[in-house]
Amino acid sequence: MSQYKVQPGPEAFLSPSAASMGIVLPDPGEAHIEGTIVPEEEAFEEAARKFLAAKVPTIFPGPLVLWHWNENAAKQATAIRKLANAIPARLIPMADYRPKYPKIDPEVEINPNHPNLTIWHNKIDVCIFVGVHCHQANLALKIIRGGTNCYTMAMCAQAGHEDACLSFRDASVEKIERLTAAVLKLKSEGVESQAEEFTQIKLNRQGRIA
Amino acid sequence: MSKDKIKICEDLADIMPPEYQDLVEDATYGDQDRGWKDVGSSKELIEQHSLCAGCPESIAFRYVLASLPAPEDTVFVGSTGCTSLVFPHVAVQNIHSLFGNQNAIASGLHRALKVRFPDKVKDVVVLAGDGATVDIGLDMTLQSWFRQEKFTTICFDNELYANTGGQESGLMQKGFVSKMAPVGKLFDKVRLAEIARESGCHYVACLTVSKPNRVEKALKNAILVAREFGPTFIQLYTPCILEIGKQSMEGLDEMKDAESIGGRFVYKEYATDDVKKFLKEKDEEAKARKKEKKSAKA
Amino acid sequence: MNKEVDLKGKKVKLSQHVKIGQKNKMNQTYTDVSDMFAAKGAPSFLTGSEVIRDAVKVAGVDISVAYPITPQSEAAALIGELYAEGYLLDYFRGESEFAVMGQCAGAAFGGARVFTTTAGPGTLRAMENFPMWAGSRLPIQVVVTCRGINSPLSIQPDTLEMAYLLETGMLVWHAETAQDLYDFILAGFMVSEQPDVHLPLANCCDGFFVTHTKDTVNKAPEDLCLPPYDPYKSPVPCMDMECPPVRMMRDPFVMKSNYISYSTHASWQQEVKAAVERSRKHTIAILGGLIETENVDREILIVSSGTAVSQGREAIRLLEAEGIKVGLVKIKTIRPFPYQEILEATANAKHIFVPEFNMAGWMAREIKALIPNNERVYAGPHVAGGMTMPSEVIAEEIKKHIGA
Repeated sequence: MSQYKVQPGPEAFLSPSAASMGIVLPDPGEAHIEGTIVPEEEAFEEAARKFLAAKVPTIFPGPLVLWHWNENAAKQATAIRKLANAIPARLIPMADYRPKYPKIDPEVEINPNHPNLTIWHNKIDVCIFVGVHCHQANLALKIIRGGTNCYTMAMCAQAGHEDACLSFRDASVEKIERLTAAVLKLKSEGVESQAEEFTQIKLNRQGRIA
Repeated sequence: MSKDKIKICEDLADIMPPEYQDLVEDATYGDQDRGWKDVGSSKELIEQHSLCAGCPESIAFRYVLASLPAPEDTVFVGSTGCTSLVFPHVAVQNIHSLFGNQNAIASGLHRALKVRFPDKVKDVVVLAGDGATVDIGLDMTLQSWFRQEKFTTICFDNELYANTGGQESGLMQKGFVSKMAPVGKLFDKVRLAEIARESGCHYVACLTVSKPNRVEKALKNAILVAREFGPTFIQLYTPCILEIGKQSMEGLDEMKDAESIGGRFVYKEYATDDVKKFLKEKDEEAKARKKEKKSAKA
Repeated sequence: MNKEVDLKGKKVKLSQHVKIGQKNKMNQTYTDVSDMFAAKGAPSFLTGSEVIRDAVKVAGVDISVAYPITPQSEAAALIGELYAEGYLLDYFRGESEFAVMGQCAGAAFGGARVFTTTAGPGTLRAMENFPMWAGSRLPIQVVVTCRGINSPLSIQPDTLEMAYLLETGMLVWHAETAQDLYDFILAGFMVSEQPDVHLPLANCCDGFFVTHTKDTVNKAPEDLCLPPYDPYKSPVPCMDMECPPVRMMRDPFVMKSNYISYSTHASWQQEVKAAVERSRKHTIAILGGLIETENVDREILIVSSGTAVSQGREAIRLLEAEGIKVGLVKIKTIRPFPYQEILEATANAKHIFVPEFNMAGWMAREIKALIPNNERVYAGPHVAGGMTMPSEVIAEEIKKHIGA
């Protein structure tokens, strides 16, 4: 049994990949919290708690849910927007994976090659990745753990991410909705969002409109 | 991918940075008659580049991307060099794997797309420098032509290895003094266009990028012919102004000199008779479409 | 590991493919690999090359690229016959191993299931491609039929080339027998295509000893077939302009001169190594383990891979007759290296012999680097260049070393 725990950093000059530290991914119906395999239900509640306790909770939607390449993507986008509204959380997109440093505007986008810039700039303390290809998500998660103190989560459509502090697997519209439901349930039980006041960024072709 | 799949999910559209919104709203995906004239009047498929100021390769890149007949169903294969610094910023999926193996990658890729999408036209286009095409990759360049692989090969010929700092290449002109040719290159510029013709390319064009309409025409011809007949080849002179000691504003003059009578890049084009006939038909179809568009507007 | 791998639960993970139960155009039914193994029929008597063909026949391979080099030429040509029969969607002869591996990469970038074979100098000529395959997360399978690589030229068995594959980022497995090779080819696709693994696999076997000798092999029925590859579960975008993002280079350079670029590149390498680690769980579920052991409670062990294991097994029989008891560890996966398994299996051993078909002794080095008190490891015996390794030679060397 690995003693390693996948926790917020800053961890190291070059943090290890969690898999190399013996962390194994969950099986269907399971999730992991800090590297420990748990029933999925437990992870929904923990993720909801983390979001509500955060000052700057943030959702990072990736290309697979930002781009309308199939109907499922559109439905996931709708579910993600509802989750963001329920928490409430910032939405910062990872529209593609090309390295953008130093031109990136870290306030409105995130990039897998230098995700720490976006975390630092916005002082993000809890985040979730959804709709990012697994390889790029792992890069981002590990770099964030290496250099920031952000608690990372992943809503992965495949096998999950050991490099996140908390990861779901086999993500679907239904699972995103379950996470939203978990947030709303905690709120109904009196848990209040600790999020700092913010206005969701709005952009059009000319730039920021809010 | 059809143009309507290149759009943003409605519920997340307003968080997308402007460059992506522009791409969806204003790029010319899905228009077979797109061309170099769209440069400056619509969203280009090249977002930015880190090439030198005034580099003719950068304008060549923009013409090529503006002229693809179906960027929404095109996949590029590049190679190591200055071009590979541009490709991450291109809104057409593309592959860089190793230096010189671009025509091997393209062979496998085209075959995979052919068997996975038997009812769709998927264009594969190789775009690599002269070092990759003629020196380290010559075997794979030629073999893909011998095998009659149905894709287009474009060579950005700057007559040297630019990205590594200006070393001699096979397409360098004889006598030119450069790194690794300290007493001047000792053999002639490789006659790649002729080699392409003899190796089985059905359409070959060799030109500079001084005239965008010519680049557009050659590229469209090459891709349309590759779909129907087999391999095609375009050699474009994109001088490396840095390594031949020119200023940023002198690239165009250099190309004009090279294509004037007696120059190394006097326009040449080879096509088989069948291809000529085919291209004539395609020209007429394009003209008819243009006419129809005009009358619809009127 | 934070969780023991549950062998009973393996069907859950492997049977999720939407096409299980449907038929392909050759009228083969897409079947879970474990069910294919369970449905194996009566033994056939075949050469290793024929076994490669028969595995590929039921593996749902889309594209294969071939190039002649002994001792894999026969297998590569037999796959061509499968293509002629309609089992593959495309097949052709490339111009060199460097080009062939590029062509395989192109096909894999385009979303196809790709299989090829190579050997010896071909492996080395292809070498630049292998770290590229791994870095680009291309789940291509190459069967490497190991032979000599150094001058003077030899086409004979020699496993030196495997040493060069170890740090490519590929999965590297080593089949002992034709049966292993058959099983590894089918299991290999299922492991290497897992979204959390998605890496190339070098399925190695000893040339001639496995490829050109006949052996009994239990095969799955030919009307079954592995479920097809789904490129949209890939951890990186498929290059077919059918999935986002369209602005996508496989794979963008991260070579600006700054810490961010360096750390991105380093993290990318770590992720490839992490993917190798993740393959353990899936491999254990399908193959039942990364190693096989016999009597590892004994003080003397033979630890190796490939046909050296077969010879070791015979040596154990010879020694047993003389009253010397020796245990055996057969290593199936070289990458990932079965650290935990070997640590446990060698915990009580006083003498660990590592016979190898190469002069480098790379396997002995791997084991020495892993276990405590590594003076217990005796690197040898070694043969190379096509020499056989008589079991008597292993037995003699063991006796000499322990002073029996």
